[in-house]
Amino acid sequence: MTSLIPILSLLIFLPLVGALLVFALRQSASAARWLALAFGAAEFVLACAPLAIDRQGTAQVGVPTGFFLYQDHGWIDRFGIRFTLGMDGISLVMVILTAFITIVAIIASWKVKERQGLYLSLLLALQGAVQGLFLSLDLFLFYLFWEAMLIPMLFLIGVWGTGRPVYSTIKFFLYTFVGSLLMLLAIIALYLMHGAQTGSYTFALPALMHTTVPYQLGLWLFGAFLLSFAIKFPLFPLHTWQPDAYCDAPVAGTLMLASLLSKTAAYGLIRIAYPLFPEASRALTPLVYVVAVLGICYFAWVAFAQRDMKRMLAYSSVSHMGFVALGIAAWSPVAVSGALMQMVNHAITTGALFVMVGMLDERAESRDLSDFGGVWGKVPVLAFFFLIFNMASAGVPGLNNFVSELIVLVGVFKVAPAAALGAFLGSVLTLIYTVRLVQEVLFGKESKPTVLAEVSLREGSVLVLLAVVVVYLGVHPGPVLDLFKAPLELLLNK
Amino acid sequence: MTLTELYCLLPIVITGCAALFVLLCGPLLLSSSLTAIGVTASAAAGIWAAFTAPAPIQCIPGLAFTPLAQLLIPLFSFAAALTLLLSHGYNERRILKGEEYPATVLFALFAMCVLPCATNMLILFLALESVSFAFYILVSMDLNRAESGEAGLKYLLMGAVAAAFTAFGFALIFTGSGTLALSAALARPENRAIISAGWGVLILGMAFKLSLVPAHLWTPDVYQGAPSPVAAFLSTSSKVAAAALLLILLGHFPPMAELRAPLAALSVLSMVLGNLAALRQTNIKRMLAYSSVAHMGYLALALLTGSRDGYAAVLLYGAIYTAMNLAAFGAISSLSFEEEREQITDFTGIGFTAPVRGGVLALAMISLAGIPPTAGFIGKFFIFYSALKGGLIALAIVGILSAAASAYFYLRVVAQLYMHRSEAPAPKPVGFAEGLALCAASACILIIGVYPGPLLEMVETALR
Repeated sequence: MTSLIPILSLLIFLPLVGALLVFALRQSASAARWLALAFGAAEFVLACAPLAIDRQGTAQVGVPTGFFLYQDHGWIDRFGIRFTLGMDGISLVMVILTAFITIVAIIASWKVKERQGLYLSLLLALQGAVQGLFLSLDLFLFYLFWEAMLIPMLFLIGVWGTGRPVYSTIKFFLYTFVGSLLMLLAIIALYLMHGAQTGSYTFALPALMHTTVPYQLGLWLFGAFLLSFAIKFPLFPLHTWQPDAYCDAPVAGTLMLASLLSKTAAYGLIRIAYPLFPEASRALTPLVYVVAVLGICYFAWVAFAQRDMKRMLAYSSVSHMGFVALGIAAWSPVAVSGALMQMVNHAITTGALFVMVGMLDERAESRDLSDFGGVWGKVPVLAFFFLIFNMASAGVPGLNNFVSELIVLVGVFKVAPAAALGAFLGSVLTLIYTVRLVQEVLFGKESKPTVLAEVSLREGSVLVLLAVVVVYLGVHPGPVLDLFKAPLELLLNK
Repeated sequence: MTLTELYCLLPIVITGCAALFVLLCGPLLLSSSLTAIGVTASAAAGIWAAFTAPAPIQCIPGLAFTPLAQLLIPLFSFAAALTLLLSHGYNERRILKGEEYPATVLFALFAMCVLPCATNMLILFLALESVSFAFYILVSMDLNRAESGEAGLKYLLMGAVAAAFTAFGFALIFTGSGTLALSAALARPENRAIISAGWGVLILGMAFKLSLVPAHLWTPDVYQGAPSPVAAFLSTSSKVAAAALLLILLGHFPPMAELRAPLAALSVLSMVLGNLAALRQTNIKRMLAYSSVAHMGYLALALLTGSRDGYAAVLLYGAIYTAMNLAAFGAISSLSFEEEREQITDFTGIGFTAPVRGGVLALAMISLAGIPPTAGFIGKFFIFYSALKGGLIALAIVGILSAAASAYFYLRVVAQLYMHRSEAPAPKPVGFAEGLALCAASACILIIGVYPGPLLEMVETALR
């Protein structure tokens, strides 16, 4: 369906325009804040708009099946590169998630002291790039957004980070960049092969899926894609940039990294790498199983050893991402829809936890576990939310992560029972460090008394928003899962 | 001489006359009006060339207004105009007075305009050497700095050797083909040995001009010693001119199998060693010199394909590289006051204290690293596209990995500009001419980055 308003382009360009305007207003911090929030809210409304339209409409000529919103414009004719955007159920959920997390990030950055206008402007630019990535159906365009994302992130960590920001941001950048450039070569190779076979040189994803790739070469090409996505994911053992970047980034930076950027990698695997190379991906599936299960267990174990809460959460975050990888590796409708659900839930829960650690850090100026204790008695509201999000992260039934992790395990158990068992053991480890975190921070004895302030209205509103989503997705995930059903059928039956 | 021929010759005439006029009437005019004359003449030549249809020129032997000239003359004029704009403020701060500076820049431009028009090996050689000759003078122009003279001497000595190689190469090719006219030259099979020997020697000379490893050693010293605007001009136009010479010759003497191995070696060595050496530099001009070694390695990679796609990639990359390096050296030159600001640590916090110049430098670095949505990405994409299409898979992988490593030293500059707590004292505000030049260069980087279609078309036309 093509609508009168080019919603898809707007979804990309609205945040970019917002970024420019906020940048122009950067001298007045409060004006920049409110303007950024207004753009964030407008983007959210726009992202939810496709929920209201008819998504079952009949397929139109030239529109790949399954995409209920589609835009296609000529761009670089020399290479057959087109500005092609499309939205199906998966992108719709990702777009809404991006809009939601960005709002949380903007509100969580309300008190940034230095150069707030610039900070918010970069956040919006990052949002524009992420939205573009979730919507693009042209491989070149996808790659463009994939890399363009790095620039705002580079500055967010480097300029506003703590600890060793320059080291962390350059490490993050270089890791991602190496993978991406190899992926670029793979993209070009695929493009040339498709052109040679069909005579039409194009980067259009639906067309490239019909390329016949020799098995051996397919392994190399898929390997390049997998490497690039595994670094951003991050999968064991390519994760070493991640704890540093997560730890040293400012709150909103960590939020965007953990909640959105890792999802772009998972999305790339689901949308691009697996469908493009069905044979090669099947051949490498055991490898993905192994790194996913190893990741779940190893990172949970490492998280247990951390004293810095943010570092602990960083490891916890990547441990939970293992479930996403596991679900994708199984590549069955149940498992992948579980993985997609886990992407949403992970974004919400981990994001919420990083926001809360940011709040604690702001109050006590420390993230060390030993500096906290008895928070439950001092600031009950804050402690209550902390408990909820930790319970969600640990996989307590009735909250969101339980649902998706269970679906993934059920889906994987059918095809690879050993992997499911390993992941299950990993989630027991998760329980251990989460309980310790909650126990020490909320109920433990304080080593040095600190005065903590209760949540403010601004903080409370973010936490309530997040908590509502956590509970809602925990008890009623049906509507979201329904959105995944149709596109997944198309992707898996390729 | 017909009117059409005059029209075709006009860019050459304009730049030549402007150079003479500036030299002769310079003492009577203000330095700002000299800059204005130079910029106007360059712009006029460039715009005229861009809108003139290619045609042969009968009245002067060895010249024709080729499609290649239609692309390259505007490109060279753009670089010369920006160099003059950048030099205006820089020379005032450095007390580099005199009309010889703009006149020499215009002479260099004159020779550059002749080069793509050449249809004769002798003219080709003369044009190339006139370009170098003008640069020998420009590099050593700053009499107040010892490094400038030193750089000029180094450049001259090495350049003389390279010129000898080039001339010898042309002589051998002439022996093999029997004529200086390119269109009549035929690589006859029985002369294959002598022509490939000529090519080999010529490539050595060109490796020097393009600063390909192992003929790159002059590059860091010359870039460091030369006044920054001259380094901008030298690192862009002189390289593009040398690459254009190779393209012209390759068009008439199809690439030979014997050339592949040496060219491949030059390309790989330049890409890898250039980027590795740049990692360790603390002086930004030296770093950019090694980075230019690496970038010329990418160019050689595209040349190596021997395909139209590869040649188009060379031209496109040349144009993009011109914009990127003009922006980088332009920002450095506009941030240099009584002393050259050349240590990377001198740029601490400049991104906030001088937002425009710092921003342009950061943009240039991001573009040189090849990150979208900047022009550098499009250029790199085209180079590696042509390499893969030409079947140079191993070279492409080596190249792309070295490009990944190069991101480190470009980002280090960006980090220095924005990510360090202590800030250097705010530099003086930027002058109008320099601001204009910086804006023009960065606009090119951004526009080509998101909408390269028109430039790609121009490149295609130029190869027709």
